[in-house]
Formats: sequence, C-alpha cells, structure tokens
Amino acid sequence: MLKMQNLSKVYRTHMIETQALRGFDIHVREGEFVAVTGPSGSGKTTFLNIAGLLEEFSSGEYLIDGVNVAGLDDNARSRLRNEKIGFIFQGFNLIPDLNLFDNVDVPLRYRGFDSAERRRRIEQSLTQVGLASRQRHYPAELSGGQQQRVAIARALAGSPKLLLADEPTGNLDSNMARGVMELLEEINAAGTTILMVTHDPELAARAQRNVHIIDGQVSDLEHETRRALASLSTTPEAV
Amino acid sequence: MEVRPILSAMLRNKTAPLLIAAQVALTLAIICNALYIIRDRLSTAARPTGADETNLFEIRFYPHRPIADIRGMQIRDLEALRAIPGVRSVAWVNQIPLGQSSWNIGGLTTEPGKRDSNIQATYYFSGGSLIDTFGLRLIEGRDFQSSEVVESDPRKERAEPQVMIITRALAELLFPGAASVVGKSFYLGGSDDAKPVRIVGVVERLQSPSAPAGARAELSMIAPITYLDGYTRYAVRAEPGQRERVMAEAEKALLALSNDRVLLGKGGFDELRARRYSGERIMAGLLIAVTGFLLLITASGIVGIASLWVNQRRKQIGVRRALGGRRVDILRYFVTENAIITTAGVLVGLSLALALNHVLVGAIELPRLPLIYLGLGALVMWLLGLLAVSGPAWRAAQVSPAIATRSV
Amino acid sequence: MFRYYLSLGFRSLRRNPVLTALMVLTLSVGVAASITTLTILHAMSGNPLPHKNEQLLVPLLDNLPADNGNDDGEPPEQLTFMDAMKLWEQKAASRQTPLYGLSPAIDSGRADLPPFFTEGVAIGRDFFAMFEAPFLYGDAWSAEEDARAAKVAVISRSLADRLFDSGSNPVGKTVRISDNDFSIVGVLDSWNPVPKVYRLIGSERFDTSEDVFVPIRTAVALEFDRNGSMDCSSEPPAPGFQGYLQSECNWVQYWAELDAASSRSRYADYLLAYVNEQKALGRFVRPPNNRLYNVGEWLDSRGVVDDDTRTSTWLSFAFLLVCLVNTVGLLLAKFSARPGEIGVRRALGATRADVFRQYLTEAAVIGVVGALIGLVLTWSALAYIRSLDASLALVTRLDGTMLVTAVAVSIAASLLAGLLPTWRACQVVPALQLKSQ
Repeated sequence: MLKMQNLSKVYRTHMIETQALRGFDIHVREGEFVAVTGPSGSGKTTFLNIAGLLEEFSSGEYLIDGVNVAGLDDNARSRLRNEKIGFIFQGFNLIPDLNLFDNVDVPLRYRGFDSAERRRRIEQSLTQVGLASRQRHYPAELSGGQQQRVAIARALAGSPKLLLADEPTGNLDSNMARGVMELLEEINAAGTTILMVTHDPELAARAQRNVHIIDGQVSDLEHETRRALASLSTTPEAV
Repeated sequence: MEVRPILSAMLRNKTAPLLIAAQVALTLAIICNALYIIRDRLSTAARPTGADETNLFEIRFYPHRPIADIRGMQIRDLEALRAIPGVRSVAWVNQIPLGQSSWNIGGLTTEPGKRDSNIQATYYFSGGSLIDTFGLRLIEGRDFQSSEVVESDPRKERAEPQVMIITRALAELLFPGAASVVGKSFYLGGSDDAKPVRIVGVVERLQSPSAPAGARAELSMIAPITYLDGYTRYAVRAEPGQRERVMAEAEKALLALSNDRVLLGKGGFDELRARRYSGERIMAGLLIAVTGFLLLITASGIVGIASLWVNQRRKQIGVRRALGGRRVDILRYFVTENAIITTAGVLVGLSLALALNHVLVGAIELPRLPLIYLGLGALVMWLLGLLAVSGPAWRAAQVSPAIATRSV
Repeated sequence: MFRYYLSLGFRSLRRNPVLTALMVLTLSVGVAASITTLTILHAMSGNPLPHKNEQLLVPLLDNLPADNGNDDGEPPEQLTFMDAMKLWEQKAASRQTPLYGLSPAIDSGRADLPPFFTEGVAIGRDFFAMFEAPFLYGDAWSAEEDARAAKVAVISRSLADRLFDSGSNPVGKTVRISDNDFSIVGVLDSWNPVPKVYRLIGSERFDTSEDVFVPIRTAVALEFDRNGSMDCSSEPPAPGFQGYLQSECNWVQYWAELDAASSRSRYADYLLAYVNEQKALGRFVRPPNNRLYNVGEWLDSRGVVDDDTRTSTWLSFAFLLVCLVNTVGLLLAKFSARPGEIGVRRALGATRADVFRQYLTEAAVIGVVGALIGLVLTWSALAYIRSLDASLALVTRLDGTMLVTAVAVSIAASLLAGLLPTWRACQVVPALQLKSQ
C-alpha cells in the first residue's frame, strides 16, 4: 500500500539545514493498522505530511498503491490525495462556516461526483459515524468527539484506501478518545489501511503494528501487537 | 458549481461581504451616472461648429476714442488683410461661433403678427460672405449677391435685411417637414410693422456663439449687413497650414493702420473652443478623477478584505488542499465568492444608479441614463472585482497543504 | 489613558503599513473630493452681505407688452433706464442706486502703458455705502456731483497701482477714461464680494470687482456704451444711444436700501403706486406684476450656483460615502486580524469600554492623518481648478471655515467608520484566543 525507501527530507533556511528524515524505510501493507510513535521533533509530522503528499521529499523513493509519487505535479498529487487518502487531524479541521453535510461534501466536490452520488456518500458516511441526524448542524454546535467523527466521515466519504490520522484523539478526553479509536478500528476491519501518528503508548498498543521514529529514522519495526477488536461493536453514540 | 456552500458560508459572516457589496453598489451607481455625464459633456464640447475651424481665426479691436470714418476704416482694414499672402477670405463679422457674446432675435415666425412664437435664433451679419470666410457648407440656394447687402449705422438708424441664409436646424424649426425653404419668408418678431425676410440659402450647420448644449446650438441666421460700429471683429480664413503666420501679420498690419484702437484679442478655434467649454472640461475632468479614484478605492477595498479572508482561512485552505483540492480549486473558490458578492452589489447598484439618475434628471438638465451605461458599469464592476480578487486568490492557492497538520 | 490609546493608535498605523496606507488614502481622497466641491459650493452660494440681507432690495417691474410671447409670468430681470432714473430721483428708500456695466478705455498717456480696456460700472453715490465698499483713499462723490453729471471717478486699488506710483494717494489726480478726463475722488481697497452680488447680470459672478466707478448721469451724458445684457420687447423709438435711454429696453439694474425701521411692504406699496402712476401715462400695460427680492432671494432667483457645481457636490459626497464604506471594511479587516490581542487585553482586565475607547482612538488617529493628507489634496485640487478656469479664482480659496470643516469631516468619517469594527472588537470574549483557530 505504502512504500518508502531511503527517503530523506531536508529543510533549508538560508542559515541552517535541518535533516528531518534520513534514510527512511517503511513498508505498510494493505489492510494494516500502523501506529507511528516517537518523541516530539522526531520527524513524525514530516513523515505523515510526506505520506499524505502534503509535502515533497528531498530524495529517495515513495510508492503509494503502486504509484511512484516522485515527479508528480501538484495537480496529480492533489488528485491522488483526493482519491486514495483520507485525513484525520488532531484539531479536527472542520470548516467552521459549513454545516456537517457541506463539510463532508468538500472532498467529494473535488472528486467531481454528481450531486446524487455526493449526497449518497455523505449520508452513508455520516450514518457510519452515527451523525446522520445532525447534517444541518455546524461544527461549533458539536462536542469535540462528535467533531472528530465528522472529520472521520469526511475522510471516509471518498472511500480512500489509506487513512492518515494525526493524533486523532489528542484534543479529546479519554471517553471520547476511546469512541474515536473504536471507530477507527471498525474502519480498519472493513479493509481500509490506517496510519496513525500518536504519542500515546496506550493507543499505539491497540494498533496491529507499531513504528517508532527517533531523530528522523525508523528505529523499531514489525512489532506485532494485534488485538482482535474487529468483533467488538460498541456503538459510537455511546460516547 | 460550488455556489451554494460558498453562499451559505458567506451568510454566516455577513458583515464583510455586505460592506463589499454596498461599496460595489454605490460605486456602480456613481460611475454609471458619471460616465454618462462625462460622455455628455465631452460630446457637447466636441461638436463641430460648421466652420473651417483649422484655418479660421478672429481678430478684435475696440476704439479707445471715437472714430470718425468707420466705413473707411473697415474698407482699409479688409484691404490690408486681403493683401497678406496666404489669406483665403476675410470678412467683418458681428460675432463668431463659440465666441460667447451674441446677438439673438426671438419671436421668429412664419405668420405675420404672430406674437407668441418662442423660436429664437442667433443673428450673424456681415458685409462679406460668411459662406466663404467661415467655410460653411451651402446645401440649398445660393450665397448673397452684392446688391443685397445693406448698410447700417447704429447711431442713425437700423437697417432691415431683405434676405437671409439660415441653418438647416432653423429651417426645420420654422418650416417643419418642408422639402425646400429657399424662396420662403419669415418675420423677425410679431410686431405689426415687421417686414418679411426671404430665405435665399440654407447652410448645413453654423453654431451660435454661446453654443448651448442640445439642438438649440445650431439655430442661426445670417444677414447681409455692413454694420458701421467702432467695434471691429474680423474673421480671417487662411490657406491650409498658414494660419499662425497670417495671424501674426494681420495683427501687425491692422495696428499699423490706426492707433485709435486697442487689440482685444485674436485666436483660432482651438482657443475659442477651450474657453467656451472650460466648464464642461472641468466637470468631465472632475468626474473622470472621481471615477478613477472610485474604482481604485473599491478595488483596494476588495483586495484588503479578500486578503484578510485569505489570512483568516489559511488553515481551511490547507485542509481543502489536503482533502484533494487543487490550486485551481482554491483559486476558483475565492473568485466565485467574490463574483457572488460583486453580483449582489451590481444588482443593488443598478437600481441605485437609476435612482441617482432620477435625482440628477430632476436637479440638472440631464437626459435619462441609457441602459447601455448600466450594462457597461456592471461589466466594469465585474472585471474590477475579478482583477482585485485575483491577487489574494492567487496567494491563497499558494498555501501549502501541510499547514493542515500544524497545530496552531 | 487617552495618550496611551493615542500612542497605541500611532503604533498600530505602522504595524500594518499597506492596510493603513489604503485607509488613509481612501479617507483623504474622499475628504479632498468633498471638501473641494464643498469649498466651491460654499463660496458660490455665499451671501457677501448677510447683515444687510433684509435691507438691500432689488425691485423688478413688468413693462412687457400685453401679448408677450414666451411668457413665464416673470418680469424682466432689469429695469428700463427711465424707470431706474425715476425711482432713483424719488428716493423712496434711505439709499438707492441704479447700475449698468461699462468697459471703459483707460489712456494713461504714458508711452510704456498703451491704452487698455477694463471693467467699470455707472452708479449713484449711495452704491459705496450700500455695498460697504472699503475706501483706501478719498470717498464717494457727492450728491451734487451725481446731479450735475460731474466727471469724477472712484477707481480700484489695482488700477491706481497701475497708473500711478504705488503707495501714493492719487485722489485729485486726473485719469483719462474713454477719451474724457475724470478727476479721481476716491480709491477702493481690494474688494471682492463673492459672488459679485450687486451685478449678477451681465458680468462674471465670481470675478473681482470693477476698476472704474463713475456717476451714471456722467456715463450716460458721455454715451458710455453698456457692457452687459439688454432685453428689448419693442424697438427703441430712436436710433443710437439716445434711443435706448427712452426705450422699453431693460438694461439697468437697481438696488434700494431700507433703514431698519421702514418695512419692505411699504416699499412694495410704493412700487405699486409708481406702476399705477405710469399706467396712467400709458405704460405698464400688463396687470401689476412687481417683484421685490432681498439679497438672499435675489441670489437664489438668479441661480448663482450652477447645476454642475451642485451635481459635483452631490457626487463627491456619494464618493465620500463609498470611501467611508471602504474604510469600514478595511478597519474591520485590521481589527479582526488581531482578536488575540483583544482577548489578552480583556483577560488582563480591560473593560469592554476600554477596548471601545482604544479602538475608536485608533480610528480617529487614521482620521487625523487622513485629514492632513486630504487638506493637501484639496489644496492641490483647488489650485488645479484655478489653473483651468481663472474666473473661478475667488471661489477656489480654502478659508478657515473649510479647513475646520475638512478636519471635522475627516475625523467624523473615521469615527463613523470605526464604530462597527470597534463594536465587533468589543464582542471578543476575554480569553487566550490564540488557542483555537
């Protein structure tokens, strides 16, 4: 699904050169739930940005779903993000002036679906996160956990193969966090690959596999800690 | 495309869009009317007088002590002027188009004794040929014959002309629908002793000295009168390209002939026109400045507010980019948003423009605004909006999608 | 505290230079446009004799023929020479003067100063007192000189400077006016009533006052040609100048001054009696149709302020409105760009009123800077208009009133523009805004 080889990322200002990633190798297979951990400043966010095609890398090779990313122009990268990747951010990043329906609609419009298809997908994904009845509400009217579930619905609506989550529970209390985590596990069980950046070892422990980044390098690989949670079906509304 | 979500997002933050729309509306209302007044004034100032303006000039004298032999003075003056090489034609004239001071006769009528006519025309007279000297285009009939010229000494008596040449505009007013007016007569006023004046010719166009706006400017008539007044005004038509030299020599020649008089002025139509229409030009200039500044200010307002929006929504733009929005999608978002606001402003502005026009029509003599100006104004506002938002929108499109993952 | 807000305001001007420049420019251009047109309108619609407004009157009499065409029901705007002289002789008011314009030739006899023409008026001696013309030297001629058509003249200071050594007193000297020697009895100091109310007809209304003032009987006896307009409803009974004196042609303007005690209606009665008396002699065939205007009414009825001036004033205030809306938008942009600051200030104990005062002061600072630049722009615009049309020189001067108005308009505009953004700024809740985006 995702394969990086000898990848490096250098930030240059006119004075300083910072090596954010060096000789970075990782291979995530389809259907995996990978947690990425590491101390702050280790390069987690850089890795996530590159994985999500939000940033370019300096050298190395990166394949996503078999597509070589190097040399793609901005439009092709946008297209790839839109079709193959779903994002979940720590700060939810919902658009405050749009209601839930319109928020979930944003990536679908960029995809170019017709309005009937968009409606079907929006309703389906909002139903999946248990917020179908709140379509006309605005983000500010929801709790943090609900907002993050809308963000998840938005990420799912385009049926991406890869879900990138950046500290998805970082702004939530533990109750809400648990609900969101359970939702992610459910999505993974349904076949979507998930790459989650977190600094919470407890959350990381729930992933199938943990990757640790220290000083821009992958230091720990293939630590299988899979928990069979696919059978657990707590209703998200229970939060 | 994505009009509905943009619109609903805008309705959540009404103030700034409303301000921009209000500004667009007011600007549109003002520039529609201003453009119309500008065009009205400039086209008024550009109307042809009917004379050969490039080669014609006037030279004026006034005696500072009484002159005994006015007739002799005029004859000598005209001879001296004709002797200057490059002079095509010379005439003593009582007034000149755009000269601003004029003789007018009101109550012109085709029925003897009719006292309530409101037809007024300006009254040119000369002992020479104004057709030749002014370079008028005769469209019907003929020029005066020398036997028709009468002499008038205002100190003794007033001589009445028997024949006249009138402009087409005056002919149409006096004889509506007539195919030909040569040979027809009319009266200079409705008094019982008014004698008929016969029309011998019609010129295409001859503006009056005051040249008011509108059709009244061309209500003129010419009479063959040698007028023995101390005030002298000569119209001189030079051969092409020789005007400046002839003008200098004419001044020298006339001053050498007599020292009883003072040169009041000399000049061509460029000067006459500039003096006559200085008001129109000031007005047009002021309105052009106002229009220019308005567009500049409205554009700056749009740039200012749009930049603010872009700054406020950097995160949101990053998220949109992360969710697969291309640069062009971001660009399109801001352009569409601006187009919606501009369109709302334009719609309100069109009615405001009509309302302002209504006020102006009532306050000054301005005709109703032609609809083309509304269309033109609306187009200008749309283009202006597009132009103004393009900078901020382009900056928005450059926002990196990586900003979405930043925590603040 | 105000000084603290003021220093914050000035500091804020520098923080966002482009936005600030836009606001200041917008405001100053709007102020300049409106003050420029307002200056001209103010001068044009001014009344140079407000304290005499009720006392100075213009009578008009309707001597038109019974079946006059083109009839709007108004009497002619000037009097005939006959009527003007009779009213003048009857002296029904405390002061009165007839008036007609001249363009006299001045011959200094000096080789270095060839004969030239200038502007003049033929009047009665009361003219100077009625219109409060300031004398630099000498005084008006006497009533006796008026009656015997003496060759005496009052000249302007600029003409005196041109003819004689400047600074010397030319009273008693002789000046040759249109081929006649006149004795100078007085010199007027610079005198420019705007508009030139005493001669609204047949003269530039915003021009400087005339150079030569002579008794009307003298001017008529010497047959000084009229420089002004004339309307004739019938042919003069005789040719030449003498014909006009006996004609029903209207070409003389007339002013009467009542003292405080006598009433306008009494003077109106007098005019009516005069017309009825003339009717008995076969004149004034129409029903009595007299008019009596005081200064303000006369200025109004002559339409001293032209349509273009009015239109440009309207438009420039609409322009100012757009500038105002623009400033509101830009201020809004500026203030809302820093909700964090407001939140922190509020958290540190600033009351809502403190925030209100701080931001309104900031708006006013923009207004002051805008006013200063606006004044410079106004001054340049007026100078430019003067250069285009010299006849507008007297109405394109910035006086104290307009200076104050400009600053007041600018600050009021900026405060008005600042209200909405300030109110919005006050709504920010005290919190560390920086946390949420």
